[in-house]
Amino acid sequence: MAESTVPVLAASRLGKRFGERVAVDDVSFEVAPGETYGLLGPNGAGKTTTIRLVCGLLRADAGEVRIAGTPVGTTSTAAKRRIGYVPQEIALYPDLTARENLRFFGRLYGLRGTPLNRRVGEVLELIGLSDRATDRVESFSGGMKRRLNIGAGLLHEPTLLVLDEPTVGVDPQSRHAVMESVRSFGATGMAVLYTTHYMEEAERLCDRVGIIDHGKLVAEGTRRELVAKLGERDRITLSAAGDLGVLADRCRDLAGVDRADVKDGEVQLLAADGRRLLPGVLEAAERSGLSLRSVEVDEPDLEAVFLHLTGTALRE
Amino acid sequence: MRAALAVAGVSLRRILRDRTALFFIVVLPVVIITVIGTVVQNPGGFRIGVLASQISGPPLATSLVDELKSVGPLHTLADESTARTALRRGEIDAVVLVPAGLDADLLGGQDVRIPVLAGGAESTQSAVRSAVAAAVARHAERVQAAAFAARTTGTTTAEQLPRATAVQRVTPRIGISTENVATGSDYLPLGFSYSAPTMLVLFVFINALAGGASIIQTRQLGIYSRAQAAPIRVRSLVLGETLCYLTFAVLQSILIVGVGALLFGVSWGNSLAAVALIGTWALVGTGAGMLSGALFKTPDQASAIGPVIGIAFAMLGGCMWPLEIVPDAVQTLGHATPHAWAIDAWITVLSRDGGLADIATDLAVLAAFATAMLGLASIVHQRRLTS
Repeated sequence: MAESTVPVLAASRLGKRFGERVAVDDVSFEVAPGETYGLLGPNGAGKTTTIRLVCGLLRADAGEVRIAGTPVGTTSTAAKRRIGYVPQEIALYPDLTARENLRFFGRLYGLRGTPLNRRVGEVLELIGLSDRATDRVESFSGGMKRRLNIGAGLLHEPTLLVLDEPTVGVDPQSRHAVMESVRSFGATGMAVLYTTHYMEEAERLCDRVGIIDHGKLVAEGTRRELVAKLGERDRITLSAAGDLGVLADRCRDLAGVDRADVKDGEVQLLAADGRRLLPGVLEAAERSGLSLRSVEVDEPDLEAVFLHLTGTALRE
Repeated sequence: MRAALAVAGVSLRRILRDRTALFFIVVLPVVIITVIGTVVQNPGGFRIGVLASQISGPPLATSLVDELKSVGPLHTLADESTARTALRRGEIDAVVLVPAGLDADLLGGQDVRIPVLAGGAESTQSAVRSAVAAAVARHAERVQAAAFAARTTGTTTAEQLPRATAVQRVTPRIGISTENVATGSDYLPLGFSYSAPTMLVLFVFINALAGGASIIQTRQLGIYSRAQAAPIRVRSLVLGETLCYLTFAVLQSILIVGVGALLFGVSWGNSLAAVALIGTWALVGTGAGMLSGALFKTPDQASAIGPVIGIAFAMLGGCMWPLEIVPDAVQTLGHATPHAWAIDAWITVLSRDGGLADIATDLAVLAAFATAMLGLASIVHQRRLTS
């Protein structure tokens, strides 16, 4: 997390219910400047409701949201100026051009005249649509629409960019392009709040991840922190020719190895940090006089963490 | 206010870019005004039919046929049977059956009666009868003058007829002019003076109702929801759409007024009253459009059901036919629609030289309709957007 005394986003004990259904239940988290924070959870977990509370689109039943110290409400304008909201759906006018759409959203944020034109040009460049600026959105591919959808949230140079599942329904190539864009936003110092139900995206993009299920934030931290909290271990699998029992014994003596077994013609090790152990493992194999055929390191992923925390696999 | 203007601007841009919408906004009203104006009354005069056998007959008969051209465009028909069929179909207004022995009877000093077959409404029959009678009277003047000259000079009437015609052309005419001062009468505007204002009332309302689809589409696209994340108020969004519809209604009204005045010679009466009426009706249309966008759930509903409601209101309110010809109960029911009040006001302005004071009650009722619809639409929109 980047150093800062005031977080860009501070959500504190947020609660929201729709009738009898509790959509968000006592959710608290913070996002620091330049940090990309992922809200990971299945559909219906409460991600979008949380985002709508953060952006002042819904009135919270409990708790509060502050953007750089300024409270957010449905009618607060100061805090909203700092937020760039990118909804899950393509919220653009299909019968207007890319430039016209961006100009419209820019004007909603108070941009006018030369500054508006300059920003529209910059954003078109940033999202790679300068050459399609005067084409109607209805003629765009799904990926181009997604990029423009994100661009509309960047016009006023927000402190916090909020993206609600920006890769849903996008082909792999466009998905990669969207993820690269988000990664570049984080690099510019902009804080990003990113919701997704794709583990891979959360792992690749987010500095920290909050796992949300049934409206509750059940855990948060970096991927490694989450894994460590749950006692999950890296698995190292060694394939070699010779006496595998000797190799297992030598590995068992290495600092950081919790367990070493011979199983199915391979040596399997469990350790807290598999990558750091690799030099020692290779040295142990050499001292045992064995010739290694392959070494595999399996790190526990967020899928495993999610499974552990919620008792269910992350559903699409 | 800037956000509202941004919303209004983008919505107007979308409407003006929609070719289907432009057809209904620009082309269709002009076509309907033309058709209804022509049916209710032909501004070029009456369509008079004569039989083919009468076109090139003896001099006096030919002279009469020529005179009939002053009544309106002449249609040549094969025979009397064909003429009656054309009358029944409404293709012509009257047929003048010039007697075969016209010249002989007149030159022989006999009285002549000229049969005229007429069709259409009673008022049309009466008017065409008067027009034909006037033409026949002018012809009779020439024949009498030619006969007098023939007797005086010892020549024939046929010989003197061209001279009598020439003299008639340079002789000053004595005519009458009429002014309708019965402001409480049932006198109704005819032709384009009827079709232009009624179509203004019909199309501003009906296009606004159908235009509600645009608001629904914007809502479904999630644009309003996204816009609320911007530092603007929900009421700015509603105000923006309201401004769009108001501008749209005013532009369409100006188009119809302009087309009516320039192409069809419609006089729109007292300027102040006309402007007030157009403005108030634009507000009614705006309310209808906003309400359509608020109450219908899908764009298809607004596009399909909106025009049906608009046409039903137009029928009840007197846009398709004058309310004076329907039973009292239907007239009363018609005044449950804003259309009837608007049509009443236009009749007062156009046919009775009404001013602002004369249509004050109508304007007040229309303003009440507009306020009620805009108020309800605003409440529903704000609830939908914030729920």
